[in-house]
Amino acid sequence: MSLTAIGAAIAAFTGIGAGIGIGLATAKATDAVARQPEADGKIMKLLLLGCALAEATAIYGFVVAIMIILFS
Amino acid sequence: MLEVSLLNIGLTILNLLILYFVAKKFLFGRVDAVLVQRREEVESATKAAETAEQEALNTKKEYEDKIAHVDEEKEQILADIKKQGYAEYERIVSEARKKGDQIIVEAKHNAEVENERAKEVYAAQLTDMVIDAASKIAATKHSAADDMELYEKFINEAGANNE
Amino acid sequence: MKELLNELLMEDKTFLKVPFGSGYLEIYKSVVMTWIVIAFLFILILFLTRGFTVHNISKRQAAVESFVLWIRGVTGGMLGEEAIRYADYIGTVLIFIAFSNMVGLFGFTPATMDLNVTIALSIMSIILVEAAGIKKRGVKNWLKGFAQPMAVIAPMNVLELVIRPLSLCMRLFGNILGATVIMELIKFVMPVFFPALFSLYFDIFDGAIQAYVFVFLTSLYIKEAVE
Repeated sequence: MSLTAIGAAIAAFTGIGAGIGIGLATAKATDAVARQPEADGKIMKLLLLGCALAEATAIYGFVVAIMIILFS
Repeated sequence: MLEVSLLNIGLTILNLLILYFVAKKFLFGRVDAVLVQRREEVESATKAAETAEQEALNTKKEYEDKIAHVDEEKEQILADIKKQGYAEYERIVSEARKKGDQIIVEAKHNAEVENERAKEVYAAQLTDMVIDAASKIAATKHSAADDMELYEKFINEAGANNE
Repeated sequence: MKELLNELLMEDKTFLKVPFGSGYLEIYKSVVMTWIVIAFLFILILFLTRGFTVHNISKRQAAVESFVLWIRGVTGGMLGEEAIRYADYIGTVLIFIAFSNMVGLFGFTPATMDLNVTIALSIMSIILVEAAGIKKRGVKNWLKGFAQPMAVIAPMNVLELVIRPLSLCMRLFGNILGATVIMELIKFVMPVFFPALFSLYFDIFDGAIQAYVFVFLTSLYIKEAVE
């Protein structure tokens, strides 16, 4: 078993952080919409923004994994 | 995959700047020109409407003032005329009074003159009568009782003549 | 599968070689892609804004005007009042990145899949942010701003000058790279119906969201530097 595979697998762990972060954000967003349903447009915009920003760290892990696979 | 070449970075920056200037000139420039012109037209039309409204208000106020003044003037003219009428009336009345007074005075004067003349005429008549009586008495010799009778008859005649 | 990935990612990106001096100037495909996108946008703008009148506007002109006002609303809302003069540039970058991310629909490789293009975009953004800060505050105050709120975190503030554009470019690059790789894999595995369905999410939605996030973060930095 080559170390590149293990390295790429470890690099793919960064997805955990993104999953937890986006799950928490969505939970709070649904709470806020349940509390005040007429603000749901703004809340959805903020949620999308937060998800896109939180996804960035997972993407960093993905890029690192691809680089590991392809460059050694 | 990860080659970084400065040339391409520089070319891309150049491309971005070209795109920015193209968009600014053609898209934003033209749309801005139309929007600004439209806004100016709306503003000038609003301002002209406001000025016209202000002018209309001013003219209306002028006319209202003038109408109020017309009422006042009318009152004033009426008052003047009335005053003039009163003055005339006063004048006429005072003249008439004066003339009346004058006539009365004249009449009194005339009456006095008439009175004087009547008195003179009476006095002349009396003198005539006295002369007559005296001649009559001188013509007849009478006693004292006849004289008394004659005097009474004469006084009665004079009194009857004078009545 | 590995050949597919290799062919996609490790391809030679040179489009044409221009002889220059004692070597070659290599112009990448992504730069040519950028040229094509710019030419397309240019022709589109020229066609859409022809014959603008002040009154009696046609439907096309009404659509273009409302589109410009909408973009100005979006970027102006993000930038705030002091930095409203940069709304034109931010709007242009937004349109450019959104278009570039979506050419994957037509079979080309997106221009932003190349690291050089995203590095160029983030360099422009960071230069704009710092220039806005210098123009608003003056050089001395801007230098002093690195030591706020405390002098202890001055190294972190200086590092932020490098970290912010790096995160911007890596985020955009990684997202578009991931989207393209997954689209290629889907096209390889199930070529019949699913690519169209998934490209609705990966190409269009993801491309638009990433463009918006890039522009939003840049305008957030500008707003923070100007106030």
